[in-house]
Amino acid sequence: MKNKVLMGLAVIAMVAVLSSCGKKPQAEIDAANAAIEAAKTAEAAVYVPAELAAVQDSLNAVVADITAKESKLFKNFKGETAKLANVLTLANTVAANAGTKKEEVKAEAANLLTGIKTVIEENVKLIPKLPRGKEGAAVIEQIKAEVATVDAAVVEAQGLFDKGSFMDALNKVKAAKEKAEGLNAEVKEVLTKARIKF
Amino acid sequence: MRIKKVWKRVIIFTVILVLIFLAVVLLVRFTPQPPKEKVAYARIALSEATSNKADTYSKNLYREAKAFYDSAMINWQEENRHFIYFRNYEKVAGFAELSARKAEQAAKISKNNVTDLHIYLKQKIDNLNNIADQIDKRFTSYPLSAEVWKRISKGKMLLKESEVAYRKGQYAEAKIKIADSELLLTESYEKATNHLKEYFNSYPDWKKWADRTIRESRQNQSYSIIIDKYSRKCLVYLGGIKKYEYHVELGKNWVGDKRVKGDKATPEGMYKIVKKFGSNKTKYHKALLIDYPNETDKEEFKEEIARGTLPRTAKIGNLIEIHGDGGRGIDWTEGCIALTDSEIDIVFKIVKEGTPVTIIGSMVNLDQLLD
Repeated sequence: MKNKVLMGLAVIAMVAVLSSCGKKPQAEIDAANAAIEAAKTAEAAVYVPAELAAVQDSLNAVVADITAKESKLFKNFKGETAKLANVLTLANTVAANAGTKKEEVKAEAANLLTGIKTVIEENVKLIPKLPRGKEGAAVIEQIKAEVATVDAAVVEAQGLFDKGSFMDALNKVKAAKEKAEGLNAEVKEVLTKARIKF
Repeated sequence: MRIKKVWKRVIIFTVILVLIFLAVVLLVRFTPQPPKEKVAYARIALSEATSNKADTYSKNLYREAKAFYDSAMINWQEENRHFIYFRNYEKVAGFAELSARKAEQAAKISKNNVTDLHIYLKQKIDNLNNIADQIDKRFTSYPLSAEVWKRISKGKMLLKESEVAYRKGQYAEAKIKIADSELLLTESYEKATNHLKEYFNSYPDWKKWADRTIRESRQNQSYSIIIDKYSRKCLVYLGGIKKYEYHVELGKNWVGDKRVKGDKATPEGMYKIVKKFGSNKTKYHKALLIDYPNETDKEEFKEEIARGTLPRTAKIGNLIEIHGDGGRGIDWTEGCIALTDSEIDIVFKIVKEGTPVTIIGSMVNLDQLLD
């Protein structure tokens, strides 16, 4: 009788073990989620949006696999745990890449901000040399107004840069630089036509 | 006896195992299955929508798709907590299907929106560049207020920014910038054009005066001068045929008739040269004084005083001349008409006191001008 009871218990234990041996890897899910949040904080959505979307999709896929396994009688999350580790690594890489890209954009914006100041300074020096003749002087006032607008755009770009919005600063300063260079070319063309040295 | 007992145990054990196996098989076979494929399909559709930038270009549908996917996952996890036989995944499947459908719609709409925006922005950028060119072409010398020029400059800058965003494929940002630029540029352009149209209401008078001046030059076989303010031209006629054409500079506020002393406006009307000043009599190389204000001008001035559109203390202007010292490229005079010294030398030589000088806004009408 004692043996029968023991055998019954063994069978129940076996079934219990088989049906619930795997525990949901919640800690790993939380870690992967935290890593993705860290990537978002590192502005991955701005600097490496495709990478961020990919890692988020990977996590969604693993979570769906885990939930699917949770529906089963016999669970084993080994494979998903390994995948979560990969997602974690990937998320960390995305955060690092966002940081690198941000630095690149920052450097480019800083260079352009320095470069445009040189163009603006040159424009300011060239404008008084413009001839007061027919080709040049009629547009001097407008050129001055446009130089002032470019100046304002650069100030705005510098403000965005100082705030850490490097991508916005880059876009603004790129447009300002194109405009400033256009004005510079216009002024130089007038000076060249008038045979004035600059 | 002992063997029989062992066999009995083996049989019982086997039966129990078979029963357990059958129970498990039945449980698994007839328990509700989660809609794994549907959820996976929804997830892939969402991912596709994300790569198609639906989060930017089809925001609402994308948000709905995402919300349905989250609902599917939450419901699935919720159902997993129930006993295996009592789970119901219908809602999960429903949410997943909805999510997939919305995500597919979002991706499709986003793609279309991106294509449409690409075309729309290209057209808008071209159109606004054209307006900016028209402004430069038509209003460079037009006395628009500093505020209007500031708005035009700002509009051009925003146009440039939208071009940069457009080239980078940031269409949503480009659209915002272009809307701001359009507002500034079209508003300024319309304002300037309306101002110009208002000014050209006087065109029938100008045409009448110009025709009469040319006719008289033909009839009398004499010199006549027409000043076309808009095109900045001094046209010298002999026998009704244009003999010389020079560029002129005017008063800063050249649009409209001269109303009062010091308004830096160049008068409009039919005048005559009343005095010639040689190089030792004027600081502007040589000068031809015209009979401004004539009787018509004096009448108009008095009417304005009477109507109260001019203060009682206002004084009528005078000493309007065609003189030298021009060629500065800007409108700088107090209301006079400036030629270069070499040009005034020629005009000075051929005209005499009594030579007609007709000053008009334009020789051509506005439609011709705008074409």
